[in-house]
Amino acid sequence: MAKVVGLVNLHSDVSYKGLTERRPVASVSFLGRYGIIDFVLSNMSNSNVDTVGVLIKEKPRSLFKHLGNGNSWNFNSKSGGVSLLYNEKYANNTMYNHDINNLVENIAFIEKAKADYVVIAPAHIITTMNYAEVIDAHARSGAEITMVYQRINNAHESFVGSDYLRLKGKQVTEIKQNKGNRKERNISLETYVINTKVLLQLIGYAKKISSFFDLKDTLAYLCDERKIMAYEYKGFARCIDSYDAYYKVSMEFLDMDVSTQVFKSTWPIFTNTNDTPPTKYLKNAQVKKSFVANGAIIDGEVEGSILSRNVTIGKNAVVKNCIILNGSKVSPGAHLENVIIDKDARIEKKTELIGDSEPLYVKEGDVV
Amino acid sequence: MSKEIVAMILAGGRGTRLEALTAKVAKPAVYFGGKYRIIDFPLSNCANSGIDIVGVLTQYESVLLGTYVGAGSKWGLDGNKSLAAILPARERGEVGATWYAGTADAIYQNIGFLDQHSPEYVLILSGDHIYKMDYADMLAAHKAKGADLTVAVLNVSMKEASRFGIMNTNKDGTIYEFEEKPEKPKSTLASMGIYIFTYKELRKYLIEDAKDENSKHDFGMNIIPMMLNDGKKLYAYEFAGYWKDVGTVESLWQANMDLLDDKELDLYNIKRDWKIYTEDTLSKPQIIGEEATVKNSLVTQGCIVNGDVKGSVLFNNVYIGEGAKVVDSVLMPGVLVEEGAEIYKSIVDEGVVIKAKKVVNKEAKEVELVSDNAK
Repeated sequence: MAKVVGLVNLHSDVSYKGLTERRPVASVSFLGRYGIIDFVLSNMSNSNVDTVGVLIKEKPRSLFKHLGNGNSWNFNSKSGGVSLLYNEKYANNTMYNHDINNLVENIAFIEKAKADYVVIAPAHIITTMNYAEVIDAHARSGAEITMVYQRINNAHESFVGSDYLRLKGKQVTEIKQNKGNRKERNISLETYVINTKVLLQLIGYAKKISSFFDLKDTLAYLCDERKIMAYEYKGFARCIDSYDAYYKVSMEFLDMDVSTQVFKSTWPIFTNTNDTPPTKYLKNAQVKKSFVANGAIIDGEVEGSILSRNVTIGKNAVVKNCIILNGSKVSPGAHLENVIIDKDARIEKKTELIGDSEPLYVKEGDVV
Repeated sequence: MSKEIVAMILAGGRGTRLEALTAKVAKPAVYFGGKYRIIDFPLSNCANSGIDIVGVLTQYESVLLGTYVGAGSKWGLDGNKSLAAILPARERGEVGATWYAGTADAIYQNIGFLDQHSPEYVLILSGDHIYKMDYADMLAAHKAKGADLTVAVLNVSMKEASRFGIMNTNKDGTIYEFEEKPEKPKSTLASMGIYIFTYKELRKYLIEDAKDENSKHDFGMNIIPMMLNDGKKLYAYEFAGYWKDVGTVESLWQANMDLLDDKELDLYNIKRDWKIYTEDTLSKPQIIGEEATVKNSLVTQGCIVNGDVKGSVLFNNVYIGEGAKVVDSVLMPGVLVEEGAEIYKSIVDEGVVIKAKKVVNKEAKEVELVSDNAK
């Protein structure tokens, strides 16, 4: 079997307003008990890619804490594991802090792994992709580079700002940005399989063209010189590329038809455990159509919401269409609609908070 | 390197009165509280008390328990200098194959393991009790008194005292007599089966006890009386808090119901940060459906609730169908309650399917146990 190393690419311009003020997109809490990065890491693990490097762009503290030694994602702790690849040198330099420079800085990781192929995927595009199938197709095609895309018919409202591919047969002829002016596009899922040798060449090449060129730029620049194959992925894919998309995609999961596409017993989503007790529903609890993580204590009304670990909802409080992150407390009688509450905040004095289609945001640790 | 204290958890018991629940697993591995197994409590207490060498002595149906405890990583006991060691009854070089004949014999057969760590003190625990306790406080008391043996006791009511081993003590806390299930108790201090021995003394008495063919090799019946006879220093250490030995189906049900009452066992660390660690099940968060109601209940990750749940404890991956009713019941992992079924005052064992519209224990007088392992 070919040897494969995985790279989770956290170099992107995606941010979620307040939620990413102090943490990277990768460790933003998602669906009550996950971090955004858990999905791509679980895909790697489930695809038997057991050596994974995480290309960290910024704010690494919460990510270090979340990932630990990588045991939770079922990577073999001796023959594989998760390596955190951080580019200290350019951490504070926007133009130079990109994936190519991170790879240059951490090139030893790629060299030592001695893999045949490298599979590269972002964290903010949520899929249940089996990379083994992509690698298989890549190997059979004889291509040096394979790009994964999905044909979508709502490109005017999702994946705006992502790249799309122009194809000739199965070959990529052009890579352009989706400006949202058409519905049907072959959207790049920013997931690539590249022969290790070719990746090393690309890195060297990119440095020669422009110091500001990242991997995307380089691939776009090279697609008429190199043979880049396109691989169509037809499974679940959502792009969480903004605060609004974070809220919208989260809420979408409350629909069982959506969540059952992702949570399958054959494709576990791994995360680290926090040893929180079961959630306690008290006498006045009225919970409907919601995702609830463990450790919560609920005595109020909750509808169409996502509650993370150790959240407290007081008596007669009303929580509708909200996302409440770990450890936050909603006081008795408070009324919240369309609100995202970051970790360890307390809703005490301001007892009515109502957002609109763009949800209100309460900062981590704030008392409101 | 020698350790100050090593813990030994007696986890070999069958727990016959738990009926079908222990048909295939040892009592310490029985599920409790929505996501735990009973042995999580002593193991977490050890981890939280800073005890990092723990022997787990197994006998009855030891495979699942052994796999579950593993190297102790669930409780953070898998560091370079920490260890959870499964010590099953086994074939040994000098005597051949033997079972553990009693609590004291089980420890005696593992003197080699203890010698290897040469601890100053040994903490003996039971693998089937539910409680939160800081053993470091008990050790401090043991040291302060210069005791040879400290026994943790719980002050029970006079009515209950006849069900326990009772420690009769002097005013200074020294034990002068031990009575097993006395008809007319002189005191209400019940032994919790938690002992701290000074290892030197324990070792001596275990060897002496092993020579006695008439001994039942039991701490309560043999070791403690022998030490009292010899005028050793035995102290009672009074524990205040929730403690339960769940011996029967009824008491296991009751202990689960106790969790719905805030005053009992504090799983939410409201008073003190003392987590109970357990296995993570990789389940998605619980999903409460559009037509569901959940009141006065514990529900854990992986559950999908579409019906009515009241006064109940739901373990991971339980599914409650639409229109189903679950009242005052404990549903163990993977239980599937189909549409319109009703369950009252029951313990439903792992993986049981309750068919659509079926009604279980509507009378709700006694606790009903529903299990695929029932005879």
